[in-house]
Amino acid sequence: MTRPQSADGADATASAGPLQEADDLTELQAIVRRVVGARVGTHPAAEDLVQETLTRVLAAAPSVDPGLLEPYAIVTAKNLVASMWRDDARKRRNQHRAADLRVPESPEAQALLGEERSAMASALGRLDEHERALLIEHELRGTDTRTIAEEEGTTPGAVAARLSRSRARLRVEYVLGLESGDPPTDRCRPVLLALSAADRRRQRELDAATHLFSCDFCGRLSEPLLARGQRQDGVLRIPVAADPDIVKARGSARELAGRLGFSRTDLTVLATAVSELCRNIVRFAGSGELLVELLDEPRPGVRVTARDRGPGIADLEAAMRDGVSTYGGLGLGLPGVRRLMDEFAISSEQGAGTTVTITIWGKDPST
Amino acid sequence: MTQTTPGQHLLSELVAHLREHRTRLREEWAERIQQAHLLAAMTPQEMAAETTSVYDNYVEVLETGSVEALQHYARDLSERIIPRGVETHEVVGIVLLLRDVLARSLFEKYQRDFGLLNQVLDAYEPAANRIANTVAVSFVDERERVIRQQQDAIRELSTPVLPVRERLLILPIIGVLDSDRARQLTEQLLAGIRRHRARVVVIDITGAPDVDVAVANHLVQTVDASRLMGASVIITGLSPKIAQTLVTIGVDLSKMNTIGDLQGGLEEAERLLGYAVTKKEDATLS
Amino acid sequence: MSILRQGSTLIASVHTALDDSELERFRTDLVAQIGEHRSRGVIIDVAALDVIDSFAALTLRTIAEMARLRGARTVIVGIQPEVAFTMVRLGMGTGSIPTALDLEEGLALLTGGVDDGRRRP
Repeated sequence: MTRPQSADGADATASAGPLQEADDLTELQAIVRRVVGARVGTHPAAEDLVQETLTRVLAAAPSVDPGLLEPYAIVTAKNLVASMWRDDARKRRNQHRAADLRVPESPEAQALLGEERSAMASALGRLDEHERALLIEHELRGTDTRTIAEEEGTTPGAVAARLSRSRARLRVEYVLGLESGDPPTDRCRPVLLALSAADRRRQRELDAATHLFSCDFCGRLSEPLLARGQRQDGVLRIPVAADPDIVKARGSARELAGRLGFSRTDLTVLATAVSELCRNIVRFAGSGELLVELLDEPRPGVRVTARDRGPGIADLEAAMRDGVSTYGGLGLGLPGVRRLMDEFAISSEQGAGTTVTITIWGKDPST
Repeated sequence: MTQTTPGQHLLSELVAHLREHRTRLREEWAERIQQAHLLAAMTPQEMAAETTSVYDNYVEVLETGSVEALQHYARDLSERIIPRGVETHEVVGIVLLLRDVLARSLFEKYQRDFGLLNQVLDAYEPAANRIANTVAVSFVDERERVIRQQQDAIRELSTPVLPVRERLLILPIIGVLDSDRARQLTEQLLAGIRRHRARVVVIDITGAPDVDVAVANHLVQTVDASRLMGASVIITGLSPKIAQTLVTIGVDLSKMNTIGDLQGGLEEAERLLGYAVTKKEDATLS
Repeated sequence: MSILRQGSTLIASVHTALDDSELERFRTDLVAQIGEHRSRGVIIDVAALDVIDSFAALTLRTIAEMARLRGARTVIVGIQPEVAFTMVRLGMGTGSIPTALDLEEGLALLTGGVDDGRRRP
């Protein structure tokens, strides 16, 4: 994909990517349609599969070399078709017990959970000592890059770069662990790493495009890697275990949302809701964590997930009922939080913990 | 995973070269910026400081492949220079100039070995383009944010909250109210209370043809929020139909200060301003 | 936070966001001082708070109630517009505690400076 270089390097075209996107897309769509058509024929879901593939490819586009888009589109289409057949087969198998699908599947889900845990453990084990220490310091203890940089006498930028490389490796080792088998060729691991790190230069050096075509193994793994890599940047993970964490957490959420240009009212509403959720964690579960994600579809928004492994809420319905005051009822402040937010979801299991997910969308200022 | 590819090796050689000639290359770059009449809004001192930072960030991206630090810096820089009228083309222009200055110096260094030169440029070009993209995107993002802020300010100025006299505001509600507009009116009213140090607010809904349950709820919230800021609210022009809606959602109308028409509302407001302090209940929350 | 005495009035200002234990300490300190100085009025300035959640609102109400039992009247001043809007949407009020725009208004309310609104008709 390297084009001949004008020797003085002075041609001022920045990356040619965005301008050609429309053409590329039409071309990609034709390819994807062929791939899907060859496998499912005129199945009613064919067009959905094509659109879903394109959506995923576009989402991954910023992290792959342009030359890789085509092979990535093809493996994604293949994967989607395969998983549709799988789902269909499972539905057929379970049709006679349509009344309750969840119970029979639960042991399977349990096994999956166990597998995921052991994959994560083995992935961590495969990192070198420095990478592991850095990830633990930042992701688990929550030390920020500036502090780590100061301790190590380097710049926050360099720490961030190392962190993102370590995360990329962890993701690769994790999906490899889930596959529970070694990759078939020597090239697989470096290619997967370049994909995971969204390192276009490296992807090109390794000729990842050709490899993805010929290696089914990497074709299958490329998708979770790219999908994961996408979400890393806008996500903030805040441990919540004591009173001061409540104030810190709502400040961080406010700051993150501030980057989206939210109004002061929306920022205050978000901070207040976060405050209530964190208090519930501290009061009733002792500790837990908060995930703050920035969303950009269909418009800028913030999603906060508060989860704990506390005792859970025995009577969810009662907890969601408005008391005379917020400290009437069960005193969880949850009805108020629901009123403040655009979206609200709660799940709780006694003895296992509670997860509350709230979303607020930016208000369109032009109305 | 310790083997280094030729590309990586070249890139680190390149980085070393750029570090070694930092002063000369940076000055050459600054000169070309000046010749191109870019960033004319900056003083020579500022220019020297910023070009040094951009140069170092640039080389760091080439070295680490991570644009995170550069992104931060670019956003920060944009925030500082946008209010001074720096345009997008100027920012993109200076980064492209830097790209060219560095590319030229690479050309000089490797010109005797064309094969090697090609390899070096192959390693350099994608990274350089990525940097140009990053800076441009950061700048445009920041600019959009500033524009949004300015729009907010303009909307604020066109607020329908009318200060009739000291400590007294009127909020005439005209036309159809949906939840979005109702929310905006509330925000404007509350900001207006603080700006005008209002003690009494008259909300006149004579001009609102219909009020659904959501908007009625909103009206109640507006009254309560105004009280929290220390202002009493009088509602005028309440049609029987809207009054009915309020009762339906469980509002105790006797706790709301409602007056038939705007004239009566204003008289009541005068009275409150005169007695506001002695009649304590009027300034309290239910 | 700081607590100042002006005649028979206590003026308590919160300067930064307080966490729950700090709010509780604030409540204890303030109520103790009300008793100690036999204050007749209390002004709590919350202008610096960018969030008043259910616990903060409850604390303010508790202070006012305890002050009332000791014979003092409480006024909350300085609630920011966004905070006021959020509080009512959350379902929180300050109960029946009087509120005022700022310190000056709060003092006027407590000391009964009736003429303030009339000075410039």
